[in-house]
Amino acid sequence: MKVRLPLLLLFVLVVAVVLHLAFARVTPGLGALCDWLFAWTGLTEPASLQDRFVFSSIRTPRVLVAVFGGAALALAGTVMQASFRNPLASPDIIGTAAGAAFGGAIAIVAGWSQLSVVLTPLAALCGAVGVTSLVFVLAGSHGRFSVANLLLAGIALNTLFGALTSFVVTLAFSNYTASSQVLFWLMGGLDNRTWDHAWITAGGFALFALLIWPRVRELDLLTLRDDSAHSLGINAVKARRYLVWCACGLTATTVANSGGIAFVGLIVPHLARLMVGPAHRLLLPTAALLGGILMVVSDLGCRMAPADWNLRLGVVTAIAGSPYFLYLLARQRSGVKL
Amino acid sequence: MSSLVANMLSKQLGQKTVLHGVSMQVAPGELVLLAGRNGAGKSTLLRCLIGALEPDAGSAHLDGKPILSWQPMARAREVAFVPQDNDVPFDFTGRELVTMGRHPHRGRSESLRAEDLSAVERALDLLDASAFADRSVMTLSGGEQRRIAVARALATEAPLVLLDEPTSNLDLEHALQLVALLRGLADNGQGVLVASHDLNLFAPRCDRVVLLHNGRADVDEAPEQALSPENVERVFGVQSHRPKDFFPREFTL
Repeated sequence: MKVRLPLLLLFVLVVAVVLHLAFARVTPGLGALCDWLFAWTGLTEPASLQDRFVFSSIRTPRVLVAVFGGAALALAGTVMQASFRNPLASPDIIGTAAGAAFGGAIAIVAGWSQLSVVLTPLAALCGAVGVTSLVFVLAGSHGRFSVANLLLAGIALNTLFGALTSFVVTLAFSNYTASSQVLFWLMGGLDNRTWDHAWITAGGFALFALLIWPRVRELDLLTLRDDSAHSLGINAVKARRYLVWCACGLTATTVANSGGIAFVGLIVPHLARLMVGPAHRLLLPTAALLGGILMVVSDLGCRMAPADWNLRLGVVTAIAGSPYFLYLLARQRSGVKL
Repeated sequence: MSSLVANMLSKQLGQKTVLHGVSMQVAPGELVLLAGRNGAGKSTLLRCLIGALEPDAGSAHLDGKPILSWQPMARAREVAFVPQDNDVPFDFTGRELVTMGRHPHRGRSESLRAEDLSAVERALDLLDASAFADRSVMTLSGGEQRRIAVARALATEAPLVLLDEPTSNLDLEHALQLVALLRGLADNGQGVLVASHDLNLFAPRCDRVVLLHNGRADVDEAPEQALSPENVERVFGVQSHRPKDFFPREFTL
């Protein structure tokens, strides 16, 4: 039963991707999508040149960024929650995402993003790793990262790096294009994604997921206290650092390519845990699939909203996610373990 | 057979020198009680002995080799440990937690073998924990969680077992069962070191008592000599008497 669930989720993801490809405020729609997909069978009319362009160069890269970006954020959150032994840890709560955004903003404003498509993700990675190192210093004591410490460090770092990012944007106000580009990017969104973005998101996800997967059982052991993990043969400090750096990589990949997407990394691990339990061999794939589904569906929602709303993906996930976060906090306060 | 030796261990935590040249050992076939006041350094000593904490001076040796130079998985197959607090923030089942005790025997990707499964079942049985093994640990009582933690250590099948306050939260029956279980492990050739405040529970069944006092292993003798009225007064600052009245009672299984 539990093992079949990922297969079911994979099916849901495929359906979500098809819907995402087929539905938008403008044509082409489902019929043209079928024409495009099944043209090679000879059974359908080949899609028009314009439709083919829309599907292959606009919508496919966009949906790929959504799938792998969502999966990457969900994995990052799951890995952080286990590594910090803290169910409220996630890239956006502890400040990793803010660091990545700061790095990315510098890259865009400084014009590095024009030089090479990998420079924004790299700058985001530097920011993510930098801020997360501060989290290790500020929130940890003897291998323990309490909910309170982590949240307090997160508030401080999110505020600081949010302010630094604003400063970078206002510094560049004379360059109106760059600063408005950063502002829209910060709000999180998947418009104008190209194949470059898709490859980098998918590649980043694959790279860091592959680095994490061989050590999946260490994630289980890290949820014990460090002494217990140590007595079972792993170096908890090193394992935590390695896995959290991988989570930073996943975060940077997503932030660089889709901007600030709130709460996916926090909520998806919880939902996945409700479905398959906390053992990571099943939890990681489930969370990745759920993250992909959530991003694709949210982005579809953005795209279907009235054009003059200019609805941003980050806004949608934040509105959907913050009540859940408050609910988790309330449970924590009332003494129920998360 | 494995023995664990502390050799002039010193450790400072923050400003406080917790251990100040502690020497002691646990050999196969013996049950040793480690006692002392709050803050005497019992947990610190245990953590140094399993290699989780690097001492400032002195060393801990497992089978004549410094504990810190052991390969972690090999060390974990030799020394099992039950820490003082064992809360788990996620709702693993008891069986999943006990199965983690098999980690040192499995490679990274290896799946569970028959011997792993039987070791897990054996450990759960020994702790009388099979009945609640498939429930989420978050729904278990403190004592039940404790028994799961001890079962996890036993599932490693390590010849040496170190336990930090294993009977805290345990009801009388399960505390007595645990003492009998640890005595049985020692009789079967395992070495067991227990840090506990429950002198009446452990002292009658153990082979030696080590009293930590002023950062040293102040006393290291057979229980009756170790817990003489003079030693008890010096180390714990209390008097000890033979019972005359209804209380204290001796409880047995």
